[in-house]
Amino acid sequence: MVQIIVSSAGAGGLAEWVLMELQGEIEARYSTGLAGNLLGDLHYTTEGIPVLIVGHHILYGKIIHLEKPFAVLVKHTSGEQDCDERACKTGTRYLVTALIKNKILFKTRPKPIITNVPKKV
Amino acid sequence: MRRTREEVDATLQVAKLNPAELLPAVHCLGFSPEASPAAAGDFYLLELDPALCQELEAGRSMVIRGDRDEQAVLCSKDKTYDLKVAGTSNMLLLIPECKTPDQLKKEETHCNIFHSEIFGFSNNYWELRRCRPRLKKLKRLLMENTYEGPDSQKEKDSSCSKYTTEDLLDQIQASEEEIMAQLQVLNACEIGGYWRILEFDYEMKLLNHITQLVDSESWSFTKVPLNVCLQELGPLEPEDMIEHCLNCYGRRYTEEGEIYFELSADKICRATAQMLLQNAVKFNLAEFQEVWQQSVPEGMVARLDQLQGLALVDRQSRPEIIFLLKVDDLPEDTQERFNSLFSLREKWTGEDIAPYIQDLCGEKQTIGALLTKYSRSSMQNGVKVYNSRRPIS
Repeated sequence: MVQIIVSSAGAGGLAEWVLMELQGEIEARYSTGLAGNLLGDLHYTTEGIPVLIVGHHILYGKIIHLEKPFAVLVKHTSGEQDCDERACKTGTRYLVTALIKNKILFKTRPKPIITNVPKKV
Repeated sequence: MRRTREEVDATLQVAKLNPAELLPAVHCLGFSPEASPAAAGDFYLLELDPALCQELEAGRSMVIRGDRDEQAVLCSKDKTYDLKVAGTSNMLLLIPECKTPDQLKKEETHCNIFHSEIFGFSNNYWELRRCRPRLKKLKRLLMENTYEGPDSQKEKDSSCSKYTTEDLLDQIQASEEEIMAQLQVLNACEIGGYWRILEFDYEMKLLNHITQLVDSESWSFTKVPLNVCLQELGPLEPEDMIEHCLNCYGRRYTEEGEIYFELSADKICRATAQMLLQNAVKFNLAEFQEVWQQSVPEGMVARLDQLQGLALVDRQSRPEIIFLLKVDDLPEDTQERFNSLFSLREKWTGEDIAPYIQDLCGEKQTIGALLTKYSRSSMQNGVKVYNSRRPIS
């Protein structure tokens, strides 16, 4: 049988990340892939409402505290010396890298920013 | 390539947002040069329940277990969960360095521009659902090679299969604590580092030695001294087997520095019934009850309610009969269990079927809920009976 260890470094080693959920999908121009590209600016209003500006679109969202948090599992393929016996059999293990307890949800359609003043952005 | 505060402010102006209504800090989000979709397999999102989250925060590990032909499960130290991929049409972005408005208000940072890199993105995550541990295989593995005593031919033959705790963890889709609990239920015993189930006849032989000794010493069943048992029975059988048998059929306690066992009449009567029933396909109920009462140690009362999940009484037949039906020989899957029960008997009373479905109940599930879902009820001669929802092939 396959046994894959999911190990956790414990509170000290666990970062807390944030999950951002966008309706639909983000695509890079010219299909170059998203890696390395700028997404946009995330602001919060004084009331704590998240505001995201992506290109010529503006989105209003909300912060949701997750009843069921997420763990981010990052795959480690063995070859490293610190794996224990059971994990070595399969060669793969997952490390819990971060926990996610808050989500920024943008569920409404983006609003276009209308301007006739061309400006260098 | 990093954005400056001036650029951010220019964008705000274009967007006609009033900076006074915003918190001073802004996150400029960009995909990290290594950002990848979860589909690439380098990372996964796993949805947790609050209890599991606490376990991870305490630094405890979990294990994903499953064979190629099995549905994978995730096991913590003491619980088992089904693992399923849930998809969404939305895009989920993972952002390591991102502060919530509450954090920003609390921290009063001087920095008002954060350049946050998006670690990766995904449109699915793993969902967990608490499930019953899949323990049936455990008995099957251990029954491959039962223990018949130290002098048995099998013990000299090294080719017989034997399993250590590690081997079992590698074979069974259940958490370590659930496996250990089931080993107790099965009366399994660790012999020379391997988990073994005693051959039933051998277990009965040990039990017989003990009950005969109790009888000849005129001890009470509630106060059987360990030391004397070992002294008296040691020449006949290995001491750890005698102690194991006392543990299986009694409750250990200490009084004035001495270890005693309170033997369980229910367990001993049940084992005796199994011994009688397994040699016959069916047994005339009245005859069985008579023989059974004669076979149990004197002072113990044999009652049919001791046989729940072990034997079934058929009151419809003439004469009434009883036969062996062990719950752990029935399928583990809920639907398959009901199919097999309904092919055995068309209509069941609630009282009869309960011991055979009790173990299927989940955390907040009752026997009643299971019956509602998997059977149809009707009244027969003023008694509520349950039958299959669909024809049994």
